[in-house]
Amino acid sequence: MKSTAVVSDAGLQARPSRREHGHNPTVPRGGKRPSWKKRSAPWAYMAPSMIVLLLMTVAPAIFIFYSAFRNDKILGGAGRFVGLNNFIEAVTNASVRHAFLITFAFVAVAVILEMLLGFALALPLAAQTTANKVGAALMLLPFAVTPAVAAMIFKQLLNPNYGWVGYYLGYLGFPRGIDLLGDPTSAWIVLIILDMWQWTPFIALILMAGLQSLPGEPREAALVDGATPWQMFRHITLPAMVPFIAIAAVLRTIQAFKTFDAFKILTGGGPGESTEIINLGIFRVGLQSFNVGLACALGVIFLIILSLLIPIMLRVIGRQSDPEEM
Amino acid sequence: MAKSRLVTGLGVVATAALLTTGCTANAPAPSASAAKPAELKMLYTTDEANSAAVASLIPQFKEKFGIDLKIDNQPYDALQQKVFSEFASGSSYYDVVVVDTPWAPALVQNLEPLSPYLQNKDLNPASAESNVGDFVPKVFYDTAVYNAESPVKRYADETAKPDVSAIKNAGFDVYGLPIQSNVAVMAYRSDLFNDPQQQANFKAKYGKDLKVPTTWDEYAQAAEFFTQPDKNLFGTTVMAGVGDWATDDFKTLLASFGGDGTLVTQDLKLAFDSPEGVEALTYYSKLAQSGHVPPGSTSADWGTTAESFDSGLTAMTINYHDLKLGDNVKGGTIGYAPVPKAKAAGPHFGTWMLSVNKNSKNKEWAYQAISWLTAAEQQTTMTAKSLHPSRSSVYSSIKSDNPMAPFYATLGKSLEVGVGRARLTNYTEVSHEVAVAVNNAATGSASPQDALKTASGKVSTLLKSAGY
Repeated sequence: MKSTAVVSDAGLQARPSRREHGHNPTVPRGGKRPSWKKRSAPWAYMAPSMIVLLLMTVAPAIFIFYSAFRNDKILGGAGRFVGLNNFIEAVTNASVRHAFLITFAFVAVAVILEMLLGFALALPLAAQTTANKVGAALMLLPFAVTPAVAAMIFKQLLNPNYGWVGYYLGYLGFPRGIDLLGDPTSAWIVLIILDMWQWTPFIALILMAGLQSLPGEPREAALVDGATPWQMFRHITLPAMVPFIAIAAVLRTIQAFKTFDAFKILTGGGPGESTEIINLGIFRVGLQSFNVGLACALGVIFLIILSLLIPIMLRVIGRQSDPEEM
Repeated sequence: MAKSRLVTGLGVVATAALLTTGCTANAPAPSASAAKPAELKMLYTTDEANSAAVASLIPQFKEKFGIDLKIDNQPYDALQQKVFSEFASGSSYYDVVVVDTPWAPALVQNLEPLSPYLQNKDLNPASAESNVGDFVPKVFYDTAVYNAESPVKRYADETAKPDVSAIKNAGFDVYGLPIQSNVAVMAYRSDLFNDPQQQANFKAKYGKDLKVPTTWDEYAQAAEFFTQPDKNLFGTTVMAGVGDWATDDFKTLLASFGGDGTLVTQDLKLAFDSPEGVEALTYYSKLAQSGHVPPGSTSADWGTTAESFDSGLTAMTINYHDLKLGDNVKGGTIGYAPVPKAKAAGPHFGTWMLSVNKNSKNKEWAYQAISWLTAAEQQTTMTAKSLHPSRSSVYSSIKSDNPMAPFYATLGKSLEVGVGRARLTNYTEVSHEVAVAVNNAATGSASPQDALKTASGKVSTLLKSAGY
């Protein structure tokens, strides 16, 4: 019971009160409405960045939606409106469906593993000691490496003839010259390990910052009450960390859906089509065959799925941090 | 003092006049309408088409034409996107653009047809029609000769001596001049093949003399013979990873076993899901699974196979360029030979061409630039930087004392019988489906028959969706 009360307090600190939701911050309580000039000033300050944002993101997005319903060719020839043809072609293609499925499977597995490992790393590193500061700085290295470079290095390490990985696996009883990229299962394991190596530190750093910002009082109270370390983690630390976990999970999920370089460089979608994620397909259709309409339709389908998925994810994880819904 | 200034001034003027006339004295005369630009811009690739060789000619170009040649180099994927986006935006920024054969069917309507330039005597002072008859016929027709209205079509006789009038009369035109001719050739460790001990061992094992393979059966046998995993030596390579390289390996075998190595004919008939295709892929998958190729061959590309050979891991390889053994391979020497054959010869080939941008404001000068860069003299110069020439006379002129002579001799012979790709606007996707089939057969996850059947269904759908 005590721990629940503590959690509620932490949750309330992390989120604004529901009573404040209806309050208009531009009208001070009991004060008179600011002048038009004052009210429009923030918009004026934001205008340049909003114009850039419109040009760089909104306009291309509109163009993508427009092109998805057309059969435009990038070079010459007038395109025409083809209705849902591109979408039908995309969803009826077995390879495309497979690509979507394995993309989601990859993201789910990679993000879950990275969250678990990231949390496991963040817990000991959260204590602000000199050694931990050095550890945190070292952790920055993998995700500071360009994904393409990381993939190229991994490819060399995995070379069955002279790579280190095969050499040391030999000591563990694996066959000599093992070709990890030549088998679908091991290729997937390699791709997920590469992703984890690169992005787990990102999760760990977010969660580490979260852990360092948690108030100490609830833990001290729990210690006085004789809570075990597991009870403190389960009933104090974990619930208070849910907002940070949600942020890390959503950011990483979005990033993971954008993964491209590792697959392009390490497997090229192979063996067969076993690692052919949707981004590889969109690249080939859009940027090598220049079938703009189909590539845009694939992009729109992907966008719609992500647009539905991320709010659902936020809602599911976020609810856990809402004391009124626990 | 005043006198010396006068003399100095006159000297400067005289020198400037001499330099000016010197720079332009031998330059071809453009038409009156073509103002001489200060600079020509060229979009070019990197190692894929030997950028270093072309870059080495920039000073000579400046000396010859008095024009700066500015070359922008881009790696393959970025280059393809850049080339297409330049044409899509109707940009006139680049005067000369390098084009790889798989892109040409989609690009051809954006390339300047060259027959008016080739037939303009003023623009070809050194040799009529840029001496197109000197280009290796198969290379020239496969690379540069298109019917822009129907790019899938091929010139009827691709072995005829190139002739611009005949090309025009047949409804085709010339859309570029070939510069770097890549073709599959076999490289082998000549030190091993010439080793008396190896020869004796081979004779003892197979009852016949060890020789450089000329048939696929001999090739498989030599691969088996040289494979000694305990000594970290394997017979040969395959590049069966998913990518255009796997398709190219298969194309070579398909043509060799009597099929149509273009994969899809100009009548849009699928040419690979056939008895010849099954035979070719069966051979390939057996080789890939034989243990006579290095581990990792089912995920290898042309770069990794070259590395395997260069590091002394294999006794033979098939690739598209010359190879160089690493310092660790003591006493190693390399020989070259055409790829083996079964019923016919048909090594995969594809040549980069230099084309004039249809939107360029300096078309005549751009034409003269590509004509000069692809001329026999310049190609011969560029062989010092390992350029793969596209002209017959350049191959003939390479002396036997040239250390690269064996490679060039093989390259020239192989180009004469090379087989190109299908002329499709979405060849990349078609190639991908074939590569997946080749990879599936090579890994043993599908039989050659099933792999080709699946690919055939997918390619049919791709052709329909591309409007064929």
